[in-house]
Amino acid sequence: MKYERALIAVAIVVFILVLSYAVTLGAMGSTLPPRDLRLLAKLYLWLAINPWTRNLTVMSPEAVTSIVWDFRGLDTFFETAVLYLAIIGTVAIYRGVYASSKSREGPISEDEVGMSPIAKSVTKITLPIVIAVAVAIALHGHLTPGGGFQGGSTAAVILLLVLVVFSLQYSIRMGITKGSTLALRSAGLLGIAVTSILVLILGLLVGCQSFIFQNQPKAYAPVGVPAFLDGMLVSGTLILFNIFECLAVAAGLTLTFILVLTHEEEIRSVMKGDRHE
Amino acid sequence: MSSDFHLVAYLTGIVIISLFVNMGVSLYGMFARPSLIKKLIALTILSDTANVFAILVGYRRWPPGSIVKPPVLTELPPTPERVARFVSTAVDPLPQALVLTAIVIGLAVIIFLAVIIMQIYRTYGTTDVRLISKMRGERR
Repeated sequence: MKYERALIAVAIVVFILVLSYAVTLGAMGSTLPPRDLRLLAKLYLWLAINPWTRNLTVMSPEAVTSIVWDFRGLDTFFETAVLYLAIIGTVAIYRGVYASSKSREGPISEDEVGMSPIAKSVTKITLPIVIAVAVAIALHGHLTPGGGFQGGSTAAVILLLVLVVFSLQYSIRMGITKGSTLALRSAGLLGIAVTSILVLILGLLVGCQSFIFQNQPKAYAPVGVPAFLDGMLVSGTLILFNIFECLAVAAGLTLTFILVLTHEEEIRSVMKGDRHE
Repeated sequence: MSSDFHLVAYLTGIVIISLFVNMGVSLYGMFARPSLIKKLIALTILSDTANVFAILVGYRRWPPGSIVKPPVLTELPPTPERVARFVSTAVDPLPQALVLTAIVIGLAVIIFLAVIIMQIYRTYGTTDVRLISKMRGERR
């Protein structure tokens, strides 16, 4: 056993040394970061917001978001699918666990369960602030760094804090349940799916050619979602994608937190087969 | 000029090789540690290292007389000159876009693995892979 561990350590040291030697020989292309970008990166930067080439631009000053939801929208769509498959896997492992059977009947007062009043007061103050920041990150996703993923993760963090500080029992009474978060997550995912074919539906209604994940009007496909709404830059479908993604990520991560925080006895009773539902 | 070149090459080499060392440490954690929780922690370190490496690939050297900017156009409305300056100063946005989704997927996969490890602990009463392999599926 000892020899095995030493062998692993030696193998990894050799691995690091070989890779480092390869870098000194120029395996990264050059010893310095390049002064110029690849043509592909330049094109992405050039076309992120470019009203003079309306057929190719995304109309968003944020090049990363325009890649994530427009140039490589299908990539992101399937990566989102991976995220939700992981959450569905978590839900499937906890099938039959409803995180509510242990709570007794009748109303629970806030003071009975959870942490101290100090922690609760602080959470009550920070909850609206963090939710506002999360919504701002999501809604400004097409203008500043950030977007649906980041906004949703921010909201999920404060919801985790609420679950821990106010106790799962009280949160479930307040409506943060497995069912409601699953419904919100599904609504967000449905919104993403509908937004991805929004321009396709518009094209079918108007009777011209259009594509999935189309945002702005393209050559031979002259339909699109307006980039400006009442003089405000919304970048077409990007703001819709960010809103739905924020909703879906926040609800999905909160769902897994609820499952992870579920009372141990309840999960064990489900695992032993005491309850069949 | 030449001393600047050597300094930047040295610092870049240190960053890249420290990422390799980080990778080696996390691989050791994944291979040699018997606890599944420690394997999971090592996996998160490995994925973060890979993400930083991807970001590093998209980095560019400072063009003379300016500094490298994030790939966000901060001046609106755009004019052709502003867009041209933006292209000449911004870093590669593509690795950042790929890492952005990789981080969130990583988060979900880590939650999934953590839940599986919790379930293994509930079933076997341990997270030590050596003991679990000896149990051969029998519940403790």
